[in-house]
Amino acid sequence: MSASLERGLDRFRESLDADTAGFFATCVRCGMCAEACLFYTETEEPRYTPIHKLQPLKRLWWREYTLVGRIAAALGLSKPVTGGELADWSELVYDSCTLCGRCSLVCPVGNDITYMIRRMRDGMAAAGYAPPGLVGATRRAIELGSPMGVQLATLQAQIRHQEEATGLPIPMDREGADYLVLLSSMEIVNTPEMLGALARIFDRAGVSWTLASDAFEATNSGIQIGVAELAREIVMRTVTAAERLGVKGVVSPECGHAYMALRWEGPDLIGRPYRFEVLHILELLDRLRGEGRLKVDSTFNLPITFHDPCQVVRRGGVTEAPRNLLKMVATDVREMEEHGVYNWCCGGGGGVSAIGRAEELRLKAFGKKRGQIEATGAKTVATACANCRVVMEEAIDHYQIGVELVGLTELIADHLETEESHHG
Amino acid sequence: MASIEVNGKQLEVDEEGYLQNLEDWNMDVANFLAEQEGVEMTDNHWEVVNFLREYYEEYKIAPMIRILTKAIGKKLGADKGNTKYLYELYPGGPAKQACKIAGLPKPTGCV
Repeated sequence: MSASLERGLDRFRESLDADTAGFFATCVRCGMCAEACLFYTETEEPRYTPIHKLQPLKRLWWREYTLVGRIAAALGLSKPVTGGELADWSELVYDSCTLCGRCSLVCPVGNDITYMIRRMRDGMAAAGYAPPGLVGATRRAIELGSPMGVQLATLQAQIRHQEEATGLPIPMDREGADYLVLLSSMEIVNTPEMLGALARIFDRAGVSWTLASDAFEATNSGIQIGVAELAREIVMRTVTAAERLGVKGVVSPECGHAYMALRWEGPDLIGRPYRFEVLHILELLDRLRGEGRLKVDSTFNLPITFHDPCQVVRRGGVTEAPRNLLKMVATDVREMEEHGVYNWCCGGGGGVSAIGRAEELRLKAFGKKRGQIEATGAKTVATACANCRVVMEEAIDHYQIGVELVGLTELIADHLETEESHHG
Repeated sequence: MASIEVNGKQLEVDEEGYLQNLEDWNMDVANFLAEQEGVEMTDNHWEVVNFLREYYEEYKIAPMIRILTKAIGKKLGADKGNTKYLYELYPGGPAKQACKIAGLPKPTGCV
């Protein structure tokens, strides 16, 4: 057995905590998770059944931790987990799982399958079976501080452009600001207008905010590839900056897993509570709306629908804020049939959009979202995750379906009540 | 470390053939890399390569396809800022192939 395989299997053993062992023991093999997974519904291939994606981990548990399994193993009636098996499972654990959490939601016995996939990725990464795209992203996250290779100079260039476009300052490293605002790599590079949108909204709502030169990026690839140490380091970067600047709150951007990582897993990862509050940008905007500090003076009047980012809504619990905000700024909001916590994933979350070999499968899995969007009749889709947005834009281009994507924060900024309109 | 030889000089490239050092790049290197990719450089090809060099100079990042089309659209107009036009120039993937010829690292997406 190779050293890396042994290392991976050791990680599997470590990950077989009480939760995971309990989940395996209580699985009633009903198969409901299959119908909850867009990779199964769009391909109808049984191997994409979520619980099946965990088969090597489950076998290891059965062979080493159950009485019958141990006897069977001792008698040579079951085979050990091999490197070849893990290689075969790489596609199932990475390419065909966006960690969207829909399987965990529908499991009738409450098994958190998504959690187990994360644990299995830990072992797969240690054994060397993580896909090259994700390994590269993680290497860049370690070496450059960003999975996309975004540097401070990249952000500074975007800040210059957005300050020019809005005529507003974009504060950096301002001590004593109320909120430290984080961005995702994808926002910095692909939708820098988000920065301008934030500047305009915060200016109008009187919010004191800042960016931090040593923690501007929220993306946490440690979570997706399954390297807890890295995930911890990335969270710690933000915690250190937030405490140095003395902010009251840290704002997670329009990014899905950044919110999961920081809001829900961060304190566990670093082993202590935060000294500040963590909010998703939509939560902050909804709070400002509730306080009467965020107002629009025009509305978006074409049919529009909202794509729920899995990590923000189903996994993160930010369900009502996007709807409150959308109703404020748009007059013809059309919900998809299964929305909110029951939404379907864009197909590219959980690191899948970074896996080159998964492209064809990802485009196929988009069939679910495509059907949902088309059924609403809306030609505009608002969302609150820059990665969902790019994944959907690419698929929409590919299928030539003529739908526009827009970030909800930007949409609000575009209809914001201005000084002139307020007084005029 | 792999390398290529241009004008008698050894230049380091990564496992996928992307130049390791930005400053090793010049037009001869670009022509060499283009030939390896099976791309015949025309003025339109150079326009994209030069755009990428300038983009990298400012933003320090190699843009993935979506960002490239958007940024080119802004600067050179919609008839050039679209995937169809760029794929005609660089059939092996406009961002990847053109970045390689421009001496930039391989563009990457988010996770």
